[in-house]
Amino acid sequence: MTIIEKIFTRACGKPVRPDMYVWAGLDLVAMRDFGGPNVVQEFKDNFGDAPVFDNRKVAITFDLHIPPRDEKVARNQQILRMFAKEKGIRLFDVNTGVGQHILMENGLVRPWDIVIGTDSHMNLLGAIGAAGFGMGTTDIAGALYKGKLWFKVPHTIKIVINGILKYPVTAKDVILYILKNLTTSGALNRAIEFTGEAVKMMNLSERITLTSMVTEMSGDIGFIEPDETVFEFLRSHKVENIEPISADEDAEYEKVYEFDITSLRPQIACPHSPDNVVDVSEVAGRKIDQVFIGSCTNGRFEDLKIAARILEGKKVNDNVRLIIVPSTMEVAQMAEEAGLYKIFLKSGAVVVNPGCSLCTTGHPGILAPGEVMVSTSNRNFIGKLGKGAEVYLASPATAAASAVRGVITSPMEFWS
Amino acid sequence: MEFENIKRGRVWRFGDDIDTDQIYPGKYLPLTDKTEMAKHAMEGTDRGEEFLKNVKTGDIIVAGKNFGCGSSREHAAIAIKGAGVSLVIAESFARIFHRNCVNTALLTFELKEAKEINDGDIIEVNIDTGEVKNLTQNKVYKAEPVSELEKKIINAGGLLNYLKST
Repeated sequence: MTIIEKIFTRACGKPVRPDMYVWAGLDLVAMRDFGGPNVVQEFKDNFGDAPVFDNRKVAITFDLHIPPRDEKVARNQQILRMFAKEKGIRLFDVNTGVGQHILMENGLVRPWDIVIGTDSHMNLLGAIGAAGFGMGTTDIAGALYKGKLWFKVPHTIKIVINGILKYPVTAKDVILYILKNLTTSGALNRAIEFTGEAVKMMNLSERITLTSMVTEMSGDIGFIEPDETVFEFLRSHKVENIEPISADEDAEYEKVYEFDITSLRPQIACPHSPDNVVDVSEVAGRKIDQVFIGSCTNGRFEDLKIAARILEGKKVNDNVRLIIVPSTMEVAQMAEEAGLYKIFLKSGAVVVNPGCSLCTTGHPGILAPGEVMVSTSNRNFIGKLGKGAEVYLASPATAAASAVRGVITSPMEFWS
Repeated sequence: MEFENIKRGRVWRFGDDIDTDQIYPGKYLPLTDKTEMAKHAMEGTDRGEEFLKNVKTGDIIVAGKNFGCGSSREHAAIAIKGAGVSLVIAESFARIFHRNCVNTALLTFELKEAKEINDGDIIEVNIDTGEVKNLTQNKVYKAEPVSELEKKIINAGGLLNYLKST
């Protein structure tokens, strides 16, 4: 069996195969300041004052508009605070960060777990061997009530990544290159297992980058078999009784792709699709107005460290705004202790409090018509960050190099 | 409410990658009344006006790959059902849209040969066996039948009703 088949087999108590419909118990139901208030409304409309199925298995995270930017958002967050208090649910307020990262850092997610949430990138939890699924209002409301949901067991695609990652080429360049090959529908309704020597050598930040962008390939979930790298993170975040999970030797994969990244150059996704990917050198020199370093895909400490290595002792170009957003408060504290804030502030960057930040409109830092941004986030759909604006997706290294030069720049030029 | 196991209807053909903004444009998201929502089903597609003017109860939507991709709005499934469409056939569905269809009690079928069916064809679908008969072209196809699990949820009138009753 593949990893997802094993998880569903255990969760529903009978052997599963791809395409089977099953009911599975949930280990964690999460909602956030986006979508959460609708869930509360639907829950109340349908189940009145009923308790949630198990308040220890429910969490609310605020990460989209934090602190609230207007009265409507403030009201939405108030609704969730009241609901949390009423039901005894743990709530992570505006001083925490990106939801999925917060769940991991608080020991709420383990290998084997099935986790759902109102976020299309819940699947990045596959980086630690948990099955994360983004869901709509009705699903989450029903899950809060019953603690179980139906699933269609997906087929699994195996992606083998061989070779050794050589900085400043990063996991982001790898996943963009894979997206270029598989396209935005290449993993439709599929689970992915990433494996190979390059993956085994990746730290957790890099694994999160890889698995988060399975969403952009229309995949359900991307797994990396958890190993000591993950176990060490979990243990240091108060997770006990960690159970390893791996695919069986004779697991059946629908397809197997192999990539060799030995000679991979920095990659960039051009407007307006995450699979519109070219070598950075092909669009180098394009003038930019803003750079964003952060998001659930590239907001971890190691991501910020790569950016800092390029920004140290340099200034952000006069014609560019650089916005840096650590994914969580824990990451921000690590960055502060490592001296990264000093480097960022001296370079002229705007450093924002942890959260999702520039993933969608409605957040400070939105672009004006005709403006161009290099972003370390995961989506560059037309209009998503401002009408008439253009977004390029790249690694923290490419983003930092571009911020210094004021034009799209390969980080190779800065690396020694 | 048990559904009849044979559905017959006129086909409305749509292409690949019809996203939820085409099925139900974002500007109508504030609507909460299902009858009002139904007045905008498929409105964002290139034949939205024609569809809304002529769609009849029992009609069937047949589409290409990745039907319902894009946002997770449940309005898309609710509007299609509200417009009278009895079921949707597609080469493939986006995961969240498929979930929303089941959860709001709209039948869906995946059919590899969906593209062989033409606009205006009359087809007959057997819910239990997944057999799709194209009466116009005199062809027969086999889609995956609706699973027992989906049937139970759809018969209950959607996910929340089902969970309340179990």
